[in-house]
Amino acid sequence: MDSRYDFVIVGGGHNGMTLAAYLSKSGYSVCVLESRLEIGGAQENSEPKPGFRIDPHASVLYGGAAPGFEQLELHKYGFRMSYWGQYGLSVTSDNRAFMGGNRWNFAEAAETLRAFSQKDADLWGGMMGFIYPHLKEILRSTFWTPPYPLELDVEQEDLPWVKTWNEAAGGALPSTFFDNSLVDVCDEMFETGALKATMGLGAWYSGAAPTWDGMAAQAMGSFLLASYGSGAPKGGMHTYAHAIARCAIAHGARVLVNCPVEEIIIQDGKARGVVLADEASKAGKTIWADKAVVSAVDVQQTFQRLVGPRHVDASFLQKIKDISLKGGSLYVLHVACRELPRYVGQVQDLVESHGYPGSVLYPCDDWDSVVVQMRDAYSRNATPTGTASMTLPILMPTTYDSTRAPEGYHVLSPIYIELPPPEYHAEGPDAVNKQKDQITREMLEMMRTLAPNMTDDNIVDIWVNTPLDSEFRNAGLVGGNWYATRHCEDQWWTQRPLPELSRYRTPVDSLYLCHQTSFPGGLCLMAVPYNLMHILIDDGLVEPGDWWYPSPWHISDTKTSAATTGGN
Amino acid sequence: MSEYRPPETYISEWPDKATFDAAVIGAGPNGLIAAAYLARAGLKVCVLERRYEIGGGLATEEILFPSHYSNPHAIYHMMVDYMPPLKDLGLDKHGLMFVSPNAQTAGVFSDGSSLLLCRMLEDTKDSIAKFSEKDSRTFGKVMRTWRRIVEELVAPATYLPPVAPLDLIEAMESSDIGKSLLDITERSPVEVITDLFEDPKVQTLLLYVTCMWGLDPEETGLGFMIPLLVDRTMNKAICYGGSHRLAAALAREVVQNGGSVLDTAEVTSIRMQDGHVAGVEMEDGRTIDAGIVLSSLDPHSTFLDLVGEEHLDQNLTRSVQGWEWEKWSFATTHAVLSGRPEYAVDDAWVNEAFMTVLGFDDPESLLSYWAGVRSGHIGDHVGGHATCETIYDPTLSKVPGHEVAFLQIHAPYDLDGGGWETRTAEIEGLILDQWRRAAPNLDVLQTHTETPVDIERRLPNMRRGSIKHGDYNPLQMGTFRPNEDCSASRTPVEGLYVCGASTYPGGLIIGGPGYIAANVVAEDAGVDKWWTLPDYIAKYRDRYLGEVVEI
Repeated sequence: MDSRYDFVIVGGGHNGMTLAAYLSKSGYSVCVLESRLEIGGAQENSEPKPGFRIDPHASVLYGGAAPGFEQLELHKYGFRMSYWGQYGLSVTSDNRAFMGGNRWNFAEAAETLRAFSQKDADLWGGMMGFIYPHLKEILRSTFWTPPYPLELDVEQEDLPWVKTWNEAAGGALPSTFFDNSLVDVCDEMFETGALKATMGLGAWYSGAAPTWDGMAAQAMGSFLLASYGSGAPKGGMHTYAHAIARCAIAHGARVLVNCPVEEIIIQDGKARGVVLADEASKAGKTIWADKAVVSAVDVQQTFQRLVGPRHVDASFLQKIKDISLKGGSLYVLHVACRELPRYVGQVQDLVESHGYPGSVLYPCDDWDSVVVQMRDAYSRNATPTGTASMTLPILMPTTYDSTRAPEGYHVLSPIYIELPPPEYHAEGPDAVNKQKDQITREMLEMMRTLAPNMTDDNIVDIWVNTPLDSEFRNAGLVGGNWYATRHCEDQWWTQRPLPELSRYRTPVDSLYLCHQTSFPGGLCLMAVPYNLMHILIDDGLVEPGDWWYPSPWHISDTKTSAATTGGN
Repeated sequence: MSEYRPPETYISEWPDKATFDAAVIGAGPNGLIAAAYLARAGLKVCVLERRYEIGGGLATEEILFPSHYSNPHAIYHMMVDYMPPLKDLGLDKHGLMFVSPNAQTAGVFSDGSSLLLCRMLEDTKDSIAKFSEKDSRTFGKVMRTWRRIVEELVAPATYLPPVAPLDLIEAMESSDIGKSLLDITERSPVEVITDLFEDPKVQTLLLYVTCMWGLDPEETGLGFMIPLLVDRTMNKAICYGGSHRLAAALAREVVQNGGSVLDTAEVTSIRMQDGHVAGVEMEDGRTIDAGIVLSSLDPHSTFLDLVGEEHLDQNLTRSVQGWEWEKWSFATTHAVLSGRPEYAVDDAWVNEAFMTVLGFDDPESLLSYWAGVRSGHIGDHVGGHATCETIYDPTLSKVPGHEVAFLQIHAPYDLDGGGWETRTAEIEGLILDQWRRAAPNLDVLQTHTETPVDIERRLPNMRRGSIKHGDYNPLQMGTFRPNEDCSASRTPVEGLYVCGASTYPGGLIIGGPGYIAANVVAEDAGVDKWWTLPDYIAKYRDRYLGEVVEI
């Protein structure tokens, strides 16, 4: 079995596999080493009961604006979509509701807001009207552009997303839009609590908390990513992973699962290859990389375990240790049932006249709906206290993809709440697992107040994965956190995961990062590998074919790259 | 309100209409094997799978959610030392690995005694000798013959098109080993085993392993399978990382050689044009044009549902309508355990066995259980075979200290006393009780029971839970599988080939139907057969079938 490749990629999750596709399509020999049984990482589906397919993690397509779809031609490898009729339904605790629409019919959705506020309905429609024609550019400038070189002195107005937002608005937006939090921006614009909560929760579940200062544009961007995709890959997120993997394999990539990596081999400050763990299913346990080793596992495991203290200093390791795990640690409930939720009164009328939504937010009243969750997820209370009153996002894949359950049945998956990461829980890492029955009961109780038909008779089966379970299952989800580290300003753009690592290079020569702990984080956007490609090209390691196009906002730093090849 | 219109280019998807040389329906082992050979031979191949995951019976699923993986269908890979695709396609380069322990099949009995069939014959004889010195000696002698039957005749015949019964008899009569095969063929499993062996426990275990995959214990005509099944129960292998790895490795071969694999792509019809297949249509309306279509589904699905009666001659229709599903299926309780099962028996080595048969002390109790199952009955006594998968494949559990295991019993699709809807919990209780009696340390943390109805729900062409797509009986084996017109892969429908478990030689992940189809299609399509027949197969063909078999 061959044991020498141009590139060795540690980790076959979404980012590692996408990079493998990019590099193999560029003509290089690539080996991906995945510790789990199956590639895809959080792009996974499970079938815990025959015919019932659930989403333990990623569930909707956020990456629709990714250049990767065109560049890797994923359609040739089977990529297909299931589009939402209606994206979201927001329901207040007193049973009033409006639709979030989707990118094809936001105007109709805006009309459902009129019952709450004429002003907000007009404003929402108008705002979406100016954003949508520019949405691809807004999203690509926000997510699909490598962070700028640290040494560059960049004015706010020159940041890529500031440029595209301003262009969309037809003039400069007030700088408060970029300095403030989503809460500030929404409070200024809207009067409907449920709308603000929808945006806040929508953004938060998409990875950006509404209270984070300086992140209003990004939070709105996260919210809009889902709207751009407006659905999920047909069959579930894992089929998206299949298309990426088949692209890589068709171009010659070697993809090996059950191959945990134990160590990155570093000689003379340069990464040369990897050593596999004893239990790996590959006979030759040492694999050499002629050009580079890319770590597509989280930055903590990369430096604490795979590189180790022999090759990096204590001050660096301290910074790695301090990267926040807070937020994104999900308690995920999955329900198999006979009937879809039947709502109460006018909510059901709305659903019947506009079509069943792909997801529901409930209860969705005002900022307090958001804050109760954030208190727990960010451990401001040390232990979760609000699990009985948390707003539930309920995804209902069978409303847009008939392959997800047997005829006559439905799955509601995922339904989740955010909790502290196991590591930060005051009562120990398995505290939440011990409360599993209680938390699940509370969530089901909340569902029944929304839809009284969600009774024991209707529910055929339930499954749960807690943040701790996810740590065991998903090797790269530290803290059970689906985006691994917070997307707040301290860990965003040139600060993600650390300033010195933000351009995907590391203190170890020929070792690069390609995991959601790097910019722009999670959501299966194919963005980390796309951004990394710019750096590998700058460093002279990769020459892609004519199919490649860089981000128009990319700033190259060949000076720095010359320094890198000589070691840091 | 804005004048926004969606941009013209959005996310490109797989086209509504695509053209391939060959479309393969069903990404189970056989469909993938055929596709992998043909893709490398230069045909443009597209494999279409209804499920979100390829593999069919090569499934590895998180049914003990979360963090524990099980093989709910195929787990005992019985032909890895013979299957040509593994070597031809070089699947080990994709990390494919099989583990075949020496401690293969144990029988544990209520009096605390145990029997262990090992890969190494003398170890097996040692164990049989605990019960009967005579049986031990007989087993040694018989296995020398039976292994020759397997190596020289049955295994090679698995990978060649079937031969008409009369031709086969004539060929077999030309050698001594062939004559012994003919002799055993006309005897039933019960006859063969009770004649040869005297001890009831030895008889019980051997009868179990001979008939567990659906051979009728009392029926004659398929006796040639007895040597194969006994030999193979001593040579099983587990696919490291789960059985799905074999499917994944095959799919990587297809894709690496320019083929396409589409999941979540249910085929709803095989399109015909001027009496020839023209392609397939999928559930979402997408179509694939292809002059060659291979179906790995059961005969009913292939001919009646997808092609349609109007394109078939009456004989074919009648034969498909008369296809018999299997006499029994399985109910399986999968469990997360806090430790490996320790059986309360005389020999600790049993705890390492790949498969442990429990619940039956004598042939009568076994036969009476099976007779009950065949008439739809499960009473309060059950027995079956257990495997702790994580002993040989620790990758299946992601939680330290958790073991993944199952106990599988034969079970009817139509269950008396209210059916599976009402009795699943009760039967899971029976299974666990029986298992605990045999292994008192059993500490069950989580369970998931799959019934014959579940089997059909996951894999609909395992109709009525028929894991081999149809019964093994003399009228449905050899050239009669699925019927005389189709058993060598070609069908009366021009351009349509069959290659699933319902085609000769049958199911159980032996890879025969897929391999034979690859050979036949390559010949018909006139493409380069880049592979050569393995020596052991060529030797058999030349010695016995030179005149009658083309490949």
